[in-house]
Amino acid sequence: MTLEAKKIVVALLSVLFLLSLLVVAWIEGGKQRLVPQPPMELTVESEGCYECHKEKTPGIAAQWADSRHARLGVGCYECHQAKEGEVDGWKHEGRWIATVVTPGDCGRCHAAIQAEFEKSHHAKGGQILGSLDNVLGEIVEGPAATNLGCRQCHGSKIEFAKDPSGQIARGNEGKPLFDTATWPNSGIGRINPDGTLGSCGACHSRHRFAVAMSRRPESCGKCHMGPDHPQAEIYEESKHGIAFAVAVDQGLMSLEGEEWIVGRDYNAAPTCATCHMSATRTQPSTHDPGERISWTLRPEVSKHTEDWERKRERMRDVCSACHTPDWIDAHYRQYDAVVELYNEKFAKPGGRIMAALREAGVLTPTPFDEEIEWTWYFLWHHEGRRMRMGASMMGPDYTQWHGAFEVGHRFYEEFIPQARGLGEGKPQALAVLEEVMGSPEHAWKKGLDPKVREQLSDFYRKKYGQEVR
Amino acid sequence: MKAITEEVAFGWWIRGIHRWSSHLMVAAVILHAIRVFFTGAYRAPRELTWASGALVLLVVLGFGFTGYSLLYEQLSYWGATVAGNLTEAVPLVGPTLARLLRGGGGISENTVTRFFVLHIGILPTALFLLLGLHLLLVRLHGVSEFVFRDEAEKRERTFPFFPDHLLTEVGIGVALTFLLTCLACIFPPGLGERADPVHAPAHIKPEWYFYFTFRWLKWTGLSFAVLSLGLAAFLLVAWPWVDRLLSRLSPKRDLSIGIGLVAVLALLGLTLREALG
Repeated sequence: MTLEAKKIVVALLSVLFLLSLLVVAWIEGGKQRLVPQPPMELTVESEGCYECHKEKTPGIAAQWADSRHARLGVGCYECHQAKEGEVDGWKHEGRWIATVVTPGDCGRCHAAIQAEFEKSHHAKGGQILGSLDNVLGEIVEGPAATNLGCRQCHGSKIEFAKDPSGQIARGNEGKPLFDTATWPNSGIGRINPDGTLGSCGACHSRHRFAVAMSRRPESCGKCHMGPDHPQAEIYEESKHGIAFAVAVDQGLMSLEGEEWIVGRDYNAAPTCATCHMSATRTQPSTHDPGERISWTLRPEVSKHTEDWERKRERMRDVCSACHTPDWIDAHYRQYDAVVELYNEKFAKPGGRIMAALREAGVLTPTPFDEEIEWTWYFLWHHEGRRMRMGASMMGPDYTQWHGAFEVGHRFYEEFIPQARGLGEGKPQALAVLEEVMGSPEHAWKKGLDPKVREQLSDFYRKKYGQEVR
Repeated sequence: MKAITEEVAFGWWIRGIHRWSSHLMVAAVILHAIRVFFTGAYRAPRELTWASGALVLLVVLGFGFTGYSLLYEQLSYWGATVAGNLTEAVPLVGPTLARLLRGGGGISENTVTRFFVLHIGILPTALFLLLGLHLLLVRLHGVSEFVFRDEAEKRERTFPFFPDHLLTEVGIGVALTFLLTCLACIFPPGLGERADPVHAPAHIKPEWYFYFTFRWLKWTGLSFAVLSLGLAAFLLVAWPWVDRLLSRLSPKRDLSIGIGLVAVLALLGLTLREALG
C-alpha cells in the first residue's frame, strides 16, 4: 500500500470512528440516571440548631440531612420558628421557636396544599366529640386508651399544662409544658395551638419527609386498618395490593418523582395514594382524598357524597390508566350493588327497628347500655363497613366472609332475636319487626324452598359423600 | 460494577470497550501463537521470543480470568471456585497456593481483593516486562517471514518508522477502537446474576477461552486435569527446545506440525463440545 493510500484509509477510519462516537453520545443521552444528591444548604438561623442537634438528637438531624428540604435550605428554624409571645413559643438559644410544627408552618411554603387539606375530612378528624366512637373511647373504655388509641389517628387538641395560677406551666428557657394527655400526637386531624387543623407529619413523617414513604400503603395503614375500617388489609388481599407487594420485591415499584403520574411515571401497581390523591394524566394531585369518593361507607346507611358524579368521574379517570371504560363500568355496578344490598336489606330495616324500639321506650337514651346497641353497632360500624369497603376496593374475603356473612349472622341470629325480646308487649315495635322480616329478602327464615334444600343435599353428597340435613 | 454501567457518564462504553477488547486480545494472542507455531518461527534464534510470547498468552488468560471474577456474578463466583479447586489439586504446593489466591479457605471478599491486585498490579507488570522482552527480541532477531519452498527468496525490505509504520499503527488503532465501539454499542456487556454461594447454577460455563479446560476437567477429573494442563503449559513455553529434541529423534519428518495440528484440533474439539453441550 502506498503512503497516500494509507493516509486515505486512516482518514476514512477516523471518520467512521468519529461517527461511532455520535452513536455513543446518543446512547449516553438516552440513559436515565439518578441525579446526584446536591449538597445540604443551611441558613444562618438553622446552622446552630443543626450543629448542636447533630450531637443531641443525631437520628432526626441525619433524617433531615437526607431530606429534600435540606437540599433547598429549609432547615430546623425555617419550620420551627415562632413569633415572640406565641402561645407555644419560647426563646431557645437566642431565637423564638415552637415544638409543634403545624400545617400553618408548612403552609408558609405549601399554601395550596394546606388549603386542599383543610377542606378534607382528614383535617376534621380530631373533631369527634359527640360521636359514638368518642363515647366508647372516653367513657366506656377510658381516657388513657383514647389518648394513645383514637387520638393518635384522629388527632388530639393540643393543650398545655397549667401552673397553680392557671397560667401555662413553663420549664427551662420558658419552654411551655404540654398536657401529656394531648402531646406527643401525630393524628391527622390534630387541633393545633395556632388554631390550624391537622398534622402533615401524619403521612409525611417528620424530618425526612420522604414522599416515597407517604405514597406507600403502610402510611395510610397506620389508621385505615382494623375491624371497623380495614382498608389496609383489604388492599393487601386485592389484586392491587398483590401487584404492589410483588413489584416492591422485584424492584419494579417506582415511588419517587415530583408528579408521580399513574401510567406514565409508574405502572406496576397502584397504592392508596394513587387512587385517592395522586396525579393522573388529566388531574393534578390533591390533599383532599374525598375528592374522588362517591359513596360514604362509614355511616349506618351509605349515601352518595355531595357532587358524587363528578367525584366518581375523577376516580374513573384514575382507573383508566390501566382499565377500559367497560371494565370500570362493570366494577362500579358490582360495587354499587353491594352497597345497595347492605343499605336495603340490613341497614335501613335495622335502623327502622332501632327507631321503633326507641319510640316504644324500651331503650334508654344512654348508648351502649343495652345489648342490642352493641349488636347494632357491630353490625353497621364493623361488619357493615367491612362489607362495603371490601366491595369498594375489590377485596373478596372482606366483602363476603368478613363482611356480608357477618352482617347476616349478626342480623338474623342476634339483632332480630334481641329486638323481638325487647319488643314483647310493644305491638307497634313488633309490627315494624314483622314487616321487615316479612319482606321477600328475609323470607328464607321461614323455610328454604324444597328445591334449594335438595340442591344443597345433592352438592354435599357429590362433593364429600356426606349427607347434610 | 452496576454504578459503572448505569450511573457513571460513558461508563457503559468504557466497560464495553474493556470487555470486548479482552475477548479480542485473547483471540489475537492465540491466533498469533498458532501462526508463529505453524510457520516454525519459534525456531533458533527465536526460542526466547516464543517462550516470552507463550508466557504472554498465559498472562493474558490470567487477565481474562481475574477480570471476569471481579464482576462477582454467579459465573465469577463459581468460576473462581473451580479455579480454586484446580489450584488446590496441584501437588505439594496446591493447598498453600490456593489459600494465597483466595485470601483464605474459601471464596470471599478477600478473594475479590486478591484478584483485583492481580488484575491491576501483578499481571500488568508481568505483561509489561514480558512484552518488553518479546518486542526487544523481535527487534533483535527481526520479524520472521515464512517462505514457501517454491517461492523466490525475498530481499530484505525496510521502510521508515515515520510516517509509514506509524500510519499503519494509527490505522490499526483507529480501526480497532471503531470495531470495539461498535461492539460496545450493539452488544453492551450486561450484569449477570449476583454471586450466590448457596445456589450453584444448573448450567454455568466460563468464558469461551476456558471452554477447553472446563470440558477437559469434566472428562478427566480434577487430579489428572491439573497435571495434564500443567504439563501442556510447560510444553507450550518450552516448545522450541522440545522441537529440537524431536527433530533429533526424527530428522526427516517435521513432527511438530503433526503434534501442533493434533493440539489445535483437540482445543477446537473440546471448545466446540463445551459450547454445544
